[in-house]
Amino acid sequence: MENFEPVIVAFCCHYCAYTAADMAGSMRLSYPANVKIVRVPCSGKVDSIHMMKALEKGADGVLVAGCLEGDCHFKSGNTKAAKRVTFVKKLLEEVGIESQRLAMVTMSAGMGTRFAQIAGEFTQAIRKLGPNPVCAGRGTCATAKVA
Amino acid sequence: MITAERKPLAEIIDSIDGCRRIVLAGCNECVTVCAAGGRKEVAMLASALQMDFMKRGKTLEIHEMTLERQCDPEYVEQLAPFIDQVDAVVSMACGCGVQEVVRRFKSKRVYPAVNTKFMGASERPGVWAERCHGCGNCLLGLTGGICPIARCSKRLMNGPCGGSSKGHCEISNDVDCVWQLIWDRMKELGIEARYEDVIMAKDWSTERGGGPRKIVREDLQ
Amino acid sequence: MTEQSADAIKSVLIIGGGVGGIKAAMDLSEARKDVVLIDRAASIGGLMTQLDRTFPTNNCDLCTISPRLSAGARQQHIELLPLTQLSAVSGEPGNFTVTLTSTPRYIDLEKCTACGECHKKYPECVRFNPGLDHRAPTCMRYPQATPQAFSIDMAACKDVTGLVNCCPAKAIVPDDGEKQNIRKVGSIILSTGAELFDPGKLDHFGHGRYPNVVTGLEYERIMSASGPTLGELVRPSDGQQPKRVAWIQCAGSRGINREDVSYCSSVCCMYALKEAIVTKQRFKGDIETTIFYMDMRTFGKDYEAYYQRAKDDYGVRLVRCRPHSIIPAAPGQDLQIVYAKDNESGHTTETFDMVVLSTGFRPSAYTKQLAETLGIQLNPHQFAKTGSFEPVSTNRQGIYVCGVFESPKDIPETMVQASAAACMASKHLAKTNGSTEPEDDFPPERDVTGEAPRIGVFVCDCGQNIGGAINVNAVVEEAKKYPHVVMAEMTGHGCGKEALERIQRMVKEQNLNRVVVGACSPRTHEELFQQTIRRAGLNKYLVEIANIRDQNAWVHSGAPEMATAKAKQQIRMAVAAAAQSGPLRDHKLPMNKDVLVLGGGVAGMNAALELADKGFKVVLAERNGRLGGLAAVIRRNLEGDDVQAYVRQLAEKTKAHENIEVITNAIVVDHSGMPGKFTTGFQIGPRMYYRQIEHGATVLATGALAHRPNQYLLDRHKAVMTQLDLDNLLEDQPAQVNDWQSVVMIQCVGSRTETNPNCSRICCQAAVKNALRLLDLNSDMRIFVLYRDMRTYGFMEDAYIEARRRGVIFVRYSPDAPPTVEAAGNQVAIRFVDPVLGRPVEVTADRLALSTGFLADDETTEDLSTIFHLDRTTDGHFLEEHVKLKPVDMSVPGFFMAGTAHSPRNIRESITQAQAVAGRVQALLAQDTINLGATVARVDPEKCATCLACVRACPYNVPFINENRYSEIDPAKCHGCGICAAECPAKAIQLSRFEDQPILAKLEGLLERIA
Repeated sequence: MENFEPVIVAFCCHYCAYTAADMAGSMRLSYPANVKIVRVPCSGKVDSIHMMKALEKGADGVLVAGCLEGDCHFKSGNTKAAKRVTFVKKLLEEVGIESQRLAMVTMSAGMGTRFAQIAGEFTQAIRKLGPNPVCAGRGTCATAKVA
Repeated sequence: MITAERKPLAEIIDSIDGCRRIVLAGCNECVTVCAAGGRKEVAMLASALQMDFMKRGKTLEIHEMTLERQCDPEYVEQLAPFIDQVDAVVSMACGCGVQEVVRRFKSKRVYPAVNTKFMGASERPGVWAERCHGCGNCLLGLTGGICPIARCSKRLMNGPCGGSSKGHCEISNDVDCVWQLIWDRMKELGIEARYEDVIMAKDWSTERGGGPRKIVREDLQ
Repeated sequence: MTEQSADAIKSVLIIGGGVGGIKAAMDLSEARKDVVLIDRAASIGGLMTQLDRTFPTNNCDLCTISPRLSAGARQQHIELLPLTQLSAVSGEPGNFTVTLTSTPRYIDLEKCTACGECHKKYPECVRFNPGLDHRAPTCMRYPQATPQAFSIDMAACKDVTGLVNCCPAKAIVPDDGEKQNIRKVGSIILSTGAELFDPGKLDHFGHGRYPNVVTGLEYERIMSASGPTLGELVRPSDGQQPKRVAWIQCAGSRGINREDVSYCSSVCCMYALKEAIVTKQRFKGDIETTIFYMDMRTFGKDYEAYYQRAKDDYGVRLVRCRPHSIIPAAPGQDLQIVYAKDNESGHTTETFDMVVLSTGFRPSAYTKQLAETLGIQLNPHQFAKTGSFEPVSTNRQGIYVCGVFESPKDIPETMVQASAAACMASKHLAKTNGSTEPEDDFPPERDVTGEAPRIGVFVCDCGQNIGGAINVNAVVEEAKKYPHVVMAEMTGHGCGKEALERIQRMVKEQNLNRVVVGACSPRTHEELFQQTIRRAGLNKYLVEIANIRDQNAWVHSGAPEMATAKAKQQIRMAVAAAAQSGPLRDHKLPMNKDVLVLGGGVAGMNAALELADKGFKVVLAERNGRLGGLAAVIRRNLEGDDVQAYVRQLAEKTKAHENIEVITNAIVVDHSGMPGKFTTGFQIGPRMYYRQIEHGATVLATGALAHRPNQYLLDRHKAVMTQLDLDNLLEDQPAQVNDWQSVVMIQCVGSRTETNPNCSRICCQAAVKNALRLLDLNSDMRIFVLYRDMRTYGFMEDAYIEARRRGVIFVRYSPDAPPTVEAAGNQVAIRFVDPVLGRPVEVTADRLALSTGFLADDETTEDLSTIFHLDRTTDGHFLEEHVKLKPVDMSVPGFFMAGTAHSPRNIRESITQAQAVAGRVQALLAQDTINLGATVARVDPEKCATCLACVRACPYNVPFINENRYSEIDPAKCHGCGICAAECPAKAIQLSRFEDQPILAKLEGLLERIA
């Protein structure tokens, strides 16, 4: 398990989280390469289905990253996203998948440090959890394409 | 609309145990509106089932499709091309829809994925509340437009019981006392006097008391 | 040859094609004004193109400037004349006649393909590496040069026939001659920069004699991916990587000796820190970095934090001392620096294997001659003379100046001045009427519907930026295997002109219908690549960018294998998404051209007046009851001007202007809309009545607070006051000063602290200003200034020298042992440690003046950032969109800022920003329509269940159920958040560009199960 490199999908809103991720780059803050970013205009655009599909297809963890509470560029997208994340977490528990594999996080565009920190902590948390049981059941593990 | 809620996942999984291929059929009417069985819920359930099967090292092929209305045979017919390729149909429609599918495909196992709940309305986004019981003999005209049969816990026809307290029903603070609502409404309309009119014992034969019901319109047959 | 253009009075002549000139040209062309941009050099770009990385973001300059340069050349309003100088000027503002003389390039630009054959034939021909290689006959300044062509120094060429014959394009024209152009222009902008000091003139540093003594710029070139060592950091003497590198600050600046200049070059502290940080980033503990400095002048926005990071996070060693000389250490080419620290007796000798001289700016002979031609005055240091309240205007009307030619400054300040100069210059132009669509010159779009995807993948190497961490070749090879990929190749700087042209050519040759670029962030470069494929006849939405720089190479440089694997996945995701993408149309709306200016201080009023003069209707909203802001309580600036009189006339002019409506006591309560169509609600006056204002652009000039920390008995003892109090006292009760025998000033009170970490920038000048005024009134007075670093940048250094000459005693204190203050009757006793004596000193002073600086107006900026969704820095200032390239634009389109809401600055600097903002607003509002982009929600009527989920979920109440019984979303009103699409239970709504299909395709592209 120590060598396990989880695959983490981070849905990042364009205005805050994605910008913060760029900012982490400008600041040359390192974080685990496990985190793969999918840009969305607003965290409120992240459909529950996308969260489910990412895990179904074998991601070991999914982050939905939006603006700070009250700071959503589109007023309420991040609160809607947070509610959806809570809902999907319950469904995951029903399926028997650890709900910690899915998390909602918020940050402002300037918080490059916070992005890098969250990316590191979440990767570590998922590494501890081990591979996504969806794949473990088959005795094979999901992995990101390209060795 | 008819409201429904997804069944616990375990129950759905139990019912399709042994299936390798299923059609997961949603309905674009009531269950879409109450977020129980539209295209989106179909996708969510499909994904959840998929994960469960994979987790157990099994495979399940799911064909997702959402019919315009499962309670009409013409729309149900859309399932026909796929029906032979699958072991079962899992329907996310209300009970009416499930049974229409059963009626059409006699030799196919059909399982419900939702619990059909009641006829209700959207109270606010994400909350649906019961409004009509389908008694077959509407008395809303007598009660200021608010139904005591659907909305009084005891179906009392003439004023509240002793459990009415500050506008709430004694069973829960979340439940309005319908007779309070009726009173408020009548006052608003200036017809408080009608509140005193006694509603005579109701003929329940138009409800389930008369057996399964049917509506026939000769002109449309 | 003489040409005369008929309607040229619509154009501005810009002299100098460095970043300032380019920025001014870009701003003017955006505002639909014509520009003639001339430069002496063979291509534009100026000094910035030679830098490896620039502070404070430490990114590569080529990457930031290349898109600008290619954009610069292609803008239809800009005419670029390289190798050209101004030889005469006559006329008046609005109608100048200028004579432009172009020296021969000896190359026909129409024919030259920049193939480099002539360059190969004469291998050492690139003039680009100053001091590190020698001139040769052919010269192209840097790999992304604009224009993309070589130039030849015919005089240095011995084999002309051979040279002509070596060119396969037959582009070399040996008999090319000088050309003269006579043009009519409305105004002129000077952006000619300055030269860098040549330290070879100083015998004590041995530059030119000891190979391992280099200048800051030479060090940049050694570090640069396009430099002589291709980015390898090696010392010139033996090609070995150095282990100990030292920087000596103020080489040739802030001096009194032969060849020295007295002023401060303003940028050297930051660039030395930058070079040291970059060195540390690349080599960690392998290279030791030491900076010898006098005062660390990190006075810019967030620069203090940069300085602290250099020390604390990167371990850059800082030694406060000005070493006298460099001597060679025997044996080998190592160098010895002997120095003495003021708190230690005796001296220290240290050996370094490389020494970098931080040299500053010098006016060039060229600019002096240019000033003569133009008839403009220079200041005593031979830089362009400007006014305190007219920071970019020369003494000759209609001629403006920006950048280092005005005074030494860094890139952000140059950019601000360039925008300001562009704003001022456009005053003298004939009005342009009607508008042409910028896409007019694009070829028709090819219809790709029904075609199977044919994807071309281009992966940037970006010098060390991407290539340093990612094996780009491996990524390219892998990409060739992905579905639908027709071709994949590596491209150096993908945003460079050559690479962009290559992409266009490949689209046509390979009949590509989708393009994937592995590059930097789509946030900064998407538009550039979109325009590129649009030029190749594809819909602009058929390009997908994989962010392998900001979100990969820059963060995973320590793990190249992981970085390469991730880059492959990122490209694969982009390919998968591109395959699912389709052509889209942008939606457009008419533009509201009114402007809302928030804040009625010097910055706000200047911005409002500049815009109103240009015909824009302005609403100036001030929170307080009066105009004037913080400047209304300042009496004199360092130059001695009457600030009150200036502010009074500014307020009068503002109130009287027919295009300005001033509303006071106005508080912003709500806001909605987009650039060109904003609505902002106010509560106004004591009755708080509500009023909505519709406007197209918003300017924030909400200022900062004068800091008044509860320290050093301030407000508890009458002998203690702030510099601002003292400034007023000196004007109102000058007689008081006669009795004072000693005055002490303490710098950095409440600034550069834990709670207010940044430098307030103005306090050093304020202290020097007040010290000199005190001495003017009472020359016997003893004045002590207790400081941490004296930051009298630029020409303000003269005042600092003057103060020392007149006996003001400057004593440094350490933040670990700050001065202490006690009441002593009517006086106060100040105790501090003198670092030279190494012992405590007590001074009893009649007055103690605290240099308290600025504090961000946290409450106001927080409220406004919430209402407008703007970003702020950690200390509560507003955050600009791009620190260097767009320093007055904000991250929310349509918002601009000026003055101390941006960062601490003096009045003159605030005015510059205000003029810059007016220029930027003018550019935005020059468009007649608002482009809403193509990211809008679309409803599939077949799937819609009319459930109202979208109607309820939309934050802007856009969707409605139409008469045809399905939800309808007006693309002109849709903000493109996609919340409805995610909520729709029937999956009837898709958000263009972010449909489910490409998102799921990305997930598919990323993940696969190994069966």
